[in-house]
Amino acid sequence: MLIRLAGGRVIDPESGRDGVGDIWIRGDRIVAPAQGETPDAVYDVSGKIVMAGAIDIHSHVASGNVNTARLLLPENHRGHTPRPAATPLSTAGWSTFETGCRYAAMGFTTVIEPAVPPHYALHSHLELADIPILDKGNLTVLGEDDFLLSLLRDGKSRTAVADYAGATLAASKGLGIKAINPGGSVAFQNNVRTFDLDDVVPTYGVTSRQIFQALQQAVVDLGIPHPLHLHINNLGVPGNVETALKTIAAAGNKPIHLAHLQFYSYGKEGKRGFSSAAAQLAEAVNSAPKSLTVDVGQVMFRQTVTVSLDVIRQFSAVPMAKPRKSVIFDGETNGAGVVPYLYKSDNFYNAVQWACGLELFLLINDPTRVFFTTDHPNGAPYTTYPDLFALIMSRDARARWLADLPKEAVEMTTLPSISREYSFSEIATMTRVAPAKLLGLKDRGHLSPGALADVAVYHDDPDRAQMFRFAHLVFKDGDLVVRDGRVTHYRYGRALTVQPSYDAGVDRRLSTYYDDLYGLSRDMFKVPAGAIARDYAFEEVACGR
Amino acid sequence: MKAFVEGAAVSLETAAAVAARLLEQARLPVIAGLATDVAGARAAIALAEKLRGAYDHVHSEILLRDLDVMRQAGRMLTTPNDARLRADCVLFVGPKLRDSWPDLPKRLDLAAPPRLSETKAARKVFWLGPSRGEAAEVGAAEIAATPGALPHALAGLRAAVLQRKTRMNGTLGQKFTDLAAQLRAAHFGVVVWSAESLDRLAIEMIQGLVVDLNQKTRFSTLPVELGMNASGVVQTSGWMTGFPMRTGFGRGYPEHDTWRFDANRMIDADEADAALWISAYGAESPQWKRQIPFVALARPQTRFHYPPRVKIDVGCPGKDHDGIEYARDIGTFTLIQAKSPSDAPRVSEIIGLIDQNLTKGSEGC
Repeated sequence: MLIRLAGGRVIDPESGRDGVGDIWIRGDRIVAPAQGETPDAVYDVSGKIVMAGAIDIHSHVASGNVNTARLLLPENHRGHTPRPAATPLSTAGWSTFETGCRYAAMGFTTVIEPAVPPHYALHSHLELADIPILDKGNLTVLGEDDFLLSLLRDGKSRTAVADYAGATLAASKGLGIKAINPGGSVAFQNNVRTFDLDDVVPTYGVTSRQIFQALQQAVVDLGIPHPLHLHINNLGVPGNVETALKTIAAAGNKPIHLAHLQFYSYGKEGKRGFSSAAAQLAEAVNSAPKSLTVDVGQVMFRQTVTVSLDVIRQFSAVPMAKPRKSVIFDGETNGAGVVPYLYKSDNFYNAVQWACGLELFLLINDPTRVFFTTDHPNGAPYTTYPDLFALIMSRDARARWLADLPKEAVEMTTLPSISREYSFSEIATMTRVAPAKLLGLKDRGHLSPGALADVAVYHDDPDRAQMFRFAHLVFKDGDLVVRDGRVTHYRYGRALTVQPSYDAGVDRRLSTYYDDLYGLSRDMFKVPAGAIARDYAFEEVACGR
Repeated sequence: MKAFVEGAAVSLETAAAVAARLLEQARLPVIAGLATDVAGARAAIALAEKLRGAYDHVHSEILLRDLDVMRQAGRMLTTPNDARLRADCVLFVGPKLRDSWPDLPKRLDLAAPPRLSETKAARKVFWLGPSRGEAAEVGAAEIAATPGALPHALAGLRAAVLQRKTRMNGTLGQKFTDLAAQLRAAHFGVVVWSAESLDRLAIEMIQGLVVDLNQKTRFSTLPVELGMNASGVVQTSGWMTGFPMRTGFGRGYPEHDTWRFDANRMIDADEADAALWISAYGAESPQWKRQIPFVALARPQTRFHYPPRVKIDVGCPGKDHDGIEYARDIGTFTLIQAKSPSDAPRVSEIIGLIDQNLTKGSEGC
């Protein structure tokens, strides 16, 4: 099947292209213009914006904890708009099927679930497999596990840590490694209620800093494309910008990705002891090595639910739950908390948080180093992305929102003074080019010949939120799956994984360890290749230094 | 491989075609039982949507008792492995916990100290309201209470933990005071209970007790899973529709209502006029009273109180065929290998065949 997308404004920062032209698709790939051939289908996209499919690097879409949130909050998805289902279960609010449909409608073609403890990897993969259209991947969470903490306590070699990380990643079929308030879950099980970068994990005698640095090194040693994905200590705490700055310094020159930085951009100024320190933090990011990247975790004003493996943080948030019910989980050496929350525009703290996120977007200069997230659903559901695109693209849009916020909150930020507006090219860099590079996906995020034919075509609607909410056309692997914001049919993508090489001796040691400690086979916790009953369920992303 | 229509042996294809006719011609079909692996549950829920029917589970009463408390009041939760490795104090609540999980004490390794705990002392084990002899078998200190008295007893214990005055005097009062002191002194304690033997009030009281204990120390709860992938069906239903079972698609989108979509009630109240009964693990049979026509995907030895219109014998996950199910040993999904592989068909395969024989409907998922 040869397809020509004719006459659109093609925005492909990877190739430096920004102008009117054609895109040609043959099968599942972008190809050079096929001179002299008659395409099987021609789509006139003149006046439209053409970009590669967008990639979300951090969105909690599929895990046991997400499912707990669904079951905890039936009232959050009860009143879903009645309409005939064009595709199975696409009217089921908050289902995996709806997730695939709504992401695709916005022109997204790949999404990463960033918090999967090794023992829950199969659950997460089962959910991912029921997200239609999109390609997806899991980040495997390490740093709370007795095996690793014992290696660090006993001063074992860098290689031993890398072998363990490689084996666990392979068993859980992850795309990369995440650490979440490293050591915090173990500390919480030992009745610790706050946990900082240099606090020591009880019984192991190692600090959070040591854990994250060991994992950061292991990722480099294994040649995993995605750097260690780090959720810093002290999330949400006033004055925690100090923790973020210490962590940036501790990361040194090795690659690192800091997740949802907005939640760490708080100072202690003002009569309420809560202010934006986002400008200071953005400056630190700007002057840090280029190997440091961040995503924002923007807050938007509406009902949501926070879902996090940072159990210390979640436990402390229980009194703020709205509605007043939460789930706190001590599980399989990790922890987790599901705490519903309502962000309100007339709330001083929420308004400062909202401004902090936008300050980070606008004050971090390089769009290849700042990523577009709301930490779905923690800052806001991914369905608010269109409004967020509009906010970073328009100073006027921000001014309209600012006018409705408490004045004392606005005074705690620099947002009103910022005039920057993102261009289409910067949007495409932040949501296409940079995520593909960060995850090691060489054939995505761009529209050069050879790229996977994941393409989003948008109306050039001056209402940018409307434009990004409903793409005009979306192709996944060259298959037209969305027309005018509606999914026409399902196809199923792959789970992206890495298979780093490591010394297989660790697998034997781990088998003995599981037999001895759990009295269970380690195989019970693995994700077997045949577990997902779909053709081409997994796609391997190459490792290499 | 055996399939029957009106009691006569037929091919699988014929049985599937008759089943498809029956279900799609019904005004409101309901899928019940739903005791199957993840693949079977997926297929059944997708079929329910396509038929604009509803689905329920044979153990909904028990599963929803637990879920209802969670979605009203929240909960704290841990896994058998965390209890095994970290709990220095274990409090069992309610009778017959070992009936549904005989290996529970072994899985928790109660006789040994918790391997990953800072405290290396022997575990302290208590049992509030056991059935006769149950506490002694696991070496637990017993505090007697009848099932009916459990909510009250838990309330008394909760008051004692908070060091509030109660009207429990004498020996019982002293027992609660002593137990409360032991719980407060725990490093990481776990309350083990089952929704099979407790009512909603007792479950909510356990959650409240644990929340109170967490003011000063660490405590969590371990609900004993029913087994046979019941929790796995809850989870699968959760990600497919956002809701647990007792969900219907009559309006073209899922609606969850624990009263409205109770399969037995729907049938006996003349609302549902055809059913698909699924029971791939044990020999459970439908308990509704009104004799509506139904299709049974069941184990060969199942005895029905009136005959199904269509009956197809299915294999048991983990016995006849591999299957993904929720393993209570680890508190999450795992792939269970077939112990004695046979050609008995899987529930998901049969539903696939029924689906192919529907005249209406959209693409599959």
